[in-house]
Amino acid sequence: MLSRRALYPEIEPYRTGMLQVSGLHNLYYEESGNPHGKPVVFLHGGPGSGTDPRQRCFFDPEAYRIVLFDQRGCGRSTPNAELRENTTWDLVADIERLRAHLLIERWQVFGGSWGSTLALAYAQTHPRRVTELVLRGIFLLRRSELLWFYQDGASALFPDAWERFLAPIPAAERSDLMRAYHRRLTSDDEAVQREAARAWSVWEAATSFLLQREDHIAHAATDDFSLAFSRIEAHYFVHRGFLEREQQLLENVGRLRQIPGVIVQGRYDVVCPLHSAWQLHRAWPEADLQIIPDAGHSAFEPGILEALVAATDRFADR
Amino acid sequence: MVARTAHSVPHRAADPLAGLYPAIEPYHLGRLGVDARHDLYFEESGNPAGKPVVFLHGGPGGGTDPKHRRFFDPRHYRIILFDQRGCGQSEPFASLEDNTTWHLVDDIERLREHLGIDRWQVFGGSWGSTLGVAYAEAYPERVTELVLRGIFMFTEREAQWFYGRGTRMLFPDAWDAFVSVIPEAERGDLISAYYDRLTSDNPRTRAEAARAWSMWETRVASLVADEASLSHCDDLDFTLAFARIECHYFVNKGFLAHEQQLLEDTVKIQHIPTTIVHGRYDVICPLENAWDLHRKLPRSELIIVPDGGHSAFEPGVASALREATDRFR
Repeated sequence: MLSRRALYPEIEPYRTGMLQVSGLHNLYYEESGNPHGKPVVFLHGGPGSGTDPRQRCFFDPEAYRIVLFDQRGCGRSTPNAELRENTTWDLVADIERLRAHLLIERWQVFGGSWGSTLALAYAQTHPRRVTELVLRGIFLLRRSELLWFYQDGASALFPDAWERFLAPIPAAERSDLMRAYHRRLTSDDEAVQREAARAWSVWEAATSFLLQREDHIAHAATDDFSLAFSRIEAHYFVHRGFLEREQQLLENVGRLRQIPGVIVQGRYDVVCPLHSAWQLHRAWPEADLQIIPDAGHSAFEPGILEALVAATDRFADR
Repeated sequence: MVARTAHSVPHRAADPLAGLYPAIEPYHLGRLGVDARHDLYFEESGNPAGKPVVFLHGGPGGGTDPKHRRFFDPRHYRIILFDQRGCGQSEPFASLEDNTTWHLVDDIERLREHLGIDRWQVFGGSWGSTLGVAYAEAYPERVTELVLRGIFMFTEREAQWFYGRGTRMLFPDAWDAFVSVIPEAERGDLISAYYDRLTSDNPRTRAEAARAWSMWETRVASLVADEASLSHCDDLDFTLAFARIECHYFVNKGFLAHEQQLLEDTVKIQHIPTTIVHGRYDVICPLENAWDLHRKLPRSELIIVPDGGHSAFEPGVASALREATDRFR
């Protein structure tokens, strides 16, 4: 039996930079690990959550050239929480701009939750640029998935957290919670924005780990995090991820089936239920689906991070 | 309202029953003819002079198990287990005739009178919680306390969650196996399609459907699937009664006058001290069910077990149940 893997030690980037991707947007990016190593790009979730230094630790720093960047409007990218010129296809083009800027020919793409959505969209658009896909907490950005999390689904398992999510929205507007939140998150009144941002962000934080983590919920409640996160998420979700068709990411799996892939999914992921990973697995049977029996949504659930590190280790010398 | 979270212990003891009382044998076994057709098995264990408690098993059709005695302190409780109509050691086996919620409610009364008990505690999980609430609402003066787990009030929404829109999202693999027994054309109404097979004249059709029906529930009952409990599903004596009786109750929507009946009639049981224990990851009966019942019974205590599923025998749920009966002893 393989020994259980943990995250690699925390490291500092050897290079950080800002890349101008449009007249409006400047993206923060960083490189860590081995400058001559195998390149990998980390796609964070949300959209709007930004990167975290601990995300470098999914990769062996001796083997990988680890590239993290903050997507438009979040993390250290500027302008913060900006919704203009901010769509899935802008982000796909940004990934290509960053790759060209870093003179990387092809790279591994690693992403969970919204990061899996973006990874699939990128790999279906630029399949030849992707050496492997490591995906977690699959989210195909379909109406059914959004309704599960923001209207009726996860609420059945978390009625306590759900009450707090409903609280800022008057009963008359609860038949379409995503729109009700979007109105508040794009309101001219900053206090209204903040209250909605906190509740939106806390709902996801309260449901992301198998066993609730107070530190994670407290962080999600801060204005610094919640405003960009919830504004950008709601913007993407009311626009259905800017996809042309509901099943687009599933229908276009044929474009990436030749790419080696690993899908890691928590059995008790109530944010992005296993159903979507299962459908992706059926459309893309070559990918290795690993169901973690005692895990929720987060990449930092013990069983999930072990499986993710094992996947990047397996691909390290390819 | 009191809702609290039980202690979170990520790495529990290996023996899930470690938090319960030791295994004991009954001091009295009996049978009670409840009508011309049905004959029920019952047993008493613990202290013959102790506080009486009746255990209502799940399903319906699940039958009792000797482990069920272990939720109660045997020095303080007179513990009564019985097998509901058609299951366990009750006879006739797997019979659906004269088998309704209200027959079972009256059976509980007959058994109470037969045992010369004036009032008793009522303990039940899953379908046992449905029957416990139905009994308490029918005979509130006979119930000293209610200890309920894995709440199921038999509303349309709850039935739809488990046999339609909800559980399958987290267990698409088990769901695929569950629906595979039914041809696609009949999947629009799975419960009726299963009912046809479970009541078929062909014993092989019945057996195949009974196994698949039981597997679906067993595979999703514990937080982390327990392979040993799946072997239960190879026991036709268990699965046939369980699946036939359960499906019969679902086809008939629990024999309720209307789907909100049990929740609305909670006005009759406000005074009964009640503890509700529910696993956060109960995907058969989601926590929402307990939340709604707790709202209707504002004086009840709701204990949410963070690492619990539906089963009564996971460590966190088992301990919370034993602590509840200890408080009431």
